[in-house]
Amino acid sequence: MPHQEALTVIARIRDGQVTPLKKMLGSIREHHESWDLVPFAKLARVHFARFMVFDATHDLDSDSLPPQLVLLTNVDAPLSDHLEELATVCADGLDRVFAHCEDYPALNARSPTTRVQFLEQHSCRSDAVHVNRRGRSVEQIRQEESLRSEIDKFLDANDFDAVVPATLKERITAFVRGRSDLAWALRPPEPPALSWRIKEWAHKYFSLLAVLLLSPLILLCLPLFLYLLRRHERRDVPDTSSASAESIRAFRDDEDFWPHNQVVAVGLFKPGLFRESVARVILRMADFATRHIYNRGILSGLNTIHFARWVTFDDGRRLFFTSNYDGSLESYMNDFIDKAAWGLNAIFSNGDGFPRTEFLFCGGITDEKAYKRFLPTRQVQTNVWYSAYPHLTTKNIANNEAIRRGLSERMDDEQTREWLRRFGSGNRLSESGWVARQLDSLPWERICRHCK
Amino acid sequence: MSTLQVKEIQGIVLHGYGSLNHAGFLLLQVQNAALVKVWLGTLPLRTSEQRPEAADLCINIAFTAAGLKKLGLAEDQLGMFAGEFTEGMTGTEHRRRILGDHGESSPEQWRWGGPGNDGVDVLLLCYAGDEEALNRVVERTVGDYESRGLRLIERLGTVKLPDRKEHFGFRDGISQPAIMGFDEEGTPGNMVAAGEFVLGYPNAYGQYTDRPLVRPEQDPLHLLPVAPEAASHHDLGMNGSYLVFRQLSQDVHEFWNYLAQQAPGKFAGDTTQACIALASKMVGRWPSGAPLVNSPQADNPALADDNDFMFVRSGDADGLKCPIGSHVRRSNPRDALDPEPGSDRSIEVGKRHRIIRRGRAYGPPAAASMQPGEIIGKPADNQERGLHFFCFNTHIGRQFEFIQYTWVNSPKFDGLYEDDDPLIGDRGATEQTRGGVFTVQQEPVRKRVTGMPRFVTVRGGGYFFMPGISAVRYLASLK
Repeated sequence: MPHQEALTVIARIRDGQVTPLKKMLGSIREHHESWDLVPFAKLARVHFARFMVFDATHDLDSDSLPPQLVLLTNVDAPLSDHLEELATVCADGLDRVFAHCEDYPALNARSPTTRVQFLEQHSCRSDAVHVNRRGRSVEQIRQEESLRSEIDKFLDANDFDAVVPATLKERITAFVRGRSDLAWALRPPEPPALSWRIKEWAHKYFSLLAVLLLSPLILLCLPLFLYLLRRHERRDVPDTSSASAESIRAFRDDEDFWPHNQVVAVGLFKPGLFRESVARVILRMADFATRHIYNRGILSGLNTIHFARWVTFDDGRRLFFTSNYDGSLESYMNDFIDKAAWGLNAIFSNGDGFPRTEFLFCGGITDEKAYKRFLPTRQVQTNVWYSAYPHLTTKNIANNEAIRRGLSERMDDEQTREWLRRFGSGNRLSESGWVARQLDSLPWERICRHCK
Repeated sequence: MSTLQVKEIQGIVLHGYGSLNHAGFLLLQVQNAALVKVWLGTLPLRTSEQRPEAADLCINIAFTAAGLKKLGLAEDQLGMFAGEFTEGMTGTEHRRRILGDHGESSPEQWRWGGPGNDGVDVLLLCYAGDEEALNRVVERTVGDYESRGLRLIERLGTVKLPDRKEHFGFRDGISQPAIMGFDEEGTPGNMVAAGEFVLGYPNAYGQYTDRPLVRPEQDPLHLLPVAPEAASHHDLGMNGSYLVFRQLSQDVHEFWNYLAQQAPGKFAGDTTQACIALASKMVGRWPSGAPLVNSPQADNPALADDNDFMFVRSGDADGLKCPIGSHVRRSNPRDALDPEPGSDRSIEVGKRHRIIRRGRAYGPPAAASMQPGEIIGKPADNQERGLHFFCFNTHIGRQFEFIQYTWVNSPKFDGLYEDDDPLIGDRGATEQTRGGVFTVQQEPVRKRVTGMPRFVTVRGGGYFFMPGISAVRYLASLK
């Protein structure tokens, strides 16, 4: 199975084209069922996709930042195949949308090649990307849902009250074996390509080695770092303004059509070399964490996120964060506060206006009122949003995979019972790695009490 | 721990008035604000100081945002109330979506509180020990309405069913949060910060929930208390609470009829036994009230008021006793959810989503005894009956609406697929949010029922603010 790639295309919108472009893109509430102009559903590799517009604004030095169109996709590798598909299957829509942008090939110069060139030239590296489960393709997710659904029907149609677990599992396996359209399920999913796994492995251990080698220096600098950090944290001014009731309502109007939702927040980095350096290091750490620590369905205690990414843009002056997650924004914000405050504080406290933190990890978004007031002031509307599986939560997807894997696993009686409990409901996720579990069980509330 | 100012908090917030079997809820419109303010100034409001005796007459009052505006509350103060309250229950498409108010439950169909109905400004709650006393207190309080500057939109009646049952035949209102600084008894897992239910006290995050504060010059008579966390302001919200009111019509015949189609064969015993078994799985308690967690095999009336249980810690992590999708498990999951089922952390997270319920049934019972055995098989009588659901909370979005959307109506609750609340779920407005499945976890493998119709229809509703006693006097003094 392929690993996943995150495509970010940012293009400057031509003068006077923001309004017509926004009109063309519309809003989620207008076309949450489907949006025909760029038919993402026809692309085999896309998990999630979105278009959004960043309005013209200015940075902290009052330098102006131009209006920009952003296209994001989360896709199965290789990325080149996805770009190729976009430039051919979605050629017409892509042309109509990006025609509002600078540098897009002129009418007579448009071809799959020039479109791909444009997308590549305007694509932007993500600082960190969270993928709920690396290596789980769109095809696998859809297949395993149909497997689960077919077995559920089989279970409904028969009375198994008097059957012992082991026999029941055999009967389910026989049912699957007897269905040629489900026979693939009797093999476990293949892991991502060996070359990719070696690359990830190398990244992990070289990073650790680098940290080890630098550790004397890090320890030496720690007191100075803490001194500077506290000085900044005391001086930085949190933004206490509120978004207007109308804009908050507009965000809500685009939410809760599906069991999952999306959010995007954009902000400027705090000024100065110190914050810039801290932000860089923390984003590096986030990249490491999402790839090697939080890579089994859980990100800093949250198991509801399908895909999320952090991208620095505008020459390093701004950062945007996007997420596709299960449940309402209210529950997502509560999850942030209740379960993941430390990680989010570390990243976002380098953003201008963020609620005041203490020692990077404490305070910040644990101030419920300040955080829920702050987020809408940095939120940006997503105009077009696509999900390849809008009816499935991360828990559904993980449970479906566990059902499939179980078919080809030998189990003792207790394991068989547990596997059988996965039908109808699956709240048992596979366990995070050791480091992730340690991080998630740190008693932050107690630690942070000492920070004040 | 802050001690609550019980003399300032209206009585229905902290007491259920369980000894008063008769109640009338008056939906009122303000016709003449000046007269209404005079009336407000003299209204004998019951406080939370003492639990009522059977002979007492109790009156409480709450307002919609429109009502407060008519009384002359300034825009900037109105703007400090919760957004959910000022927008109103039917105010946005999004709110209808998360509350499940679509189809027959859409506000256009409502009897009151909808966009096509007369605007409700004031909700007057009257309680008494018998019907005659109730009528007397209503008469004494509002008289001919007109002379008070009011117009009656509707008087909603209530009924007391035997054994504190609701219309489907199950004992109701057993689980309530214990309030820190007020309730002396309560297990630690059920003890919730007062600020979750009464404004002006620290909430479950240790913060003071946003609420309207006024500048001292806006309160020249100094009727309002000083805000505890902002001494430069007077506190209009303090000792108040948001009241969520929904009239929920229950289709009792449809409920038992569906069970009679589905349960026999799937569950042991004759039709009645099988129906009760499945219905109890759906509720999470037996008809007597006994929780399935503590009495999984059969009803046990000795446990009728038993509320001392968790799910994971009580050995039911997998829902084999009390199904994961059951009504009681999803409306108050206790220790069952993330971040770590069975842990103190999960219990603490759960405490940020609690409500105090103060609802009352209305309409004639399907059978006088309210025993399911007598309700099952009764022909449809087309009588309107249901629950005047109401609850108190201070953060409507994080409490009532969260419970309604993330737990009750969500087909994805705790790893489920298409299971919304079997009892009160909305069954989903779209293909992606479709519900109507109920899964009963058991060995060797789950059973489930599908195609469940909606048993509960919304007939009316609104978000109200129930001010503290001083805040009512302040409203009465507005120019």
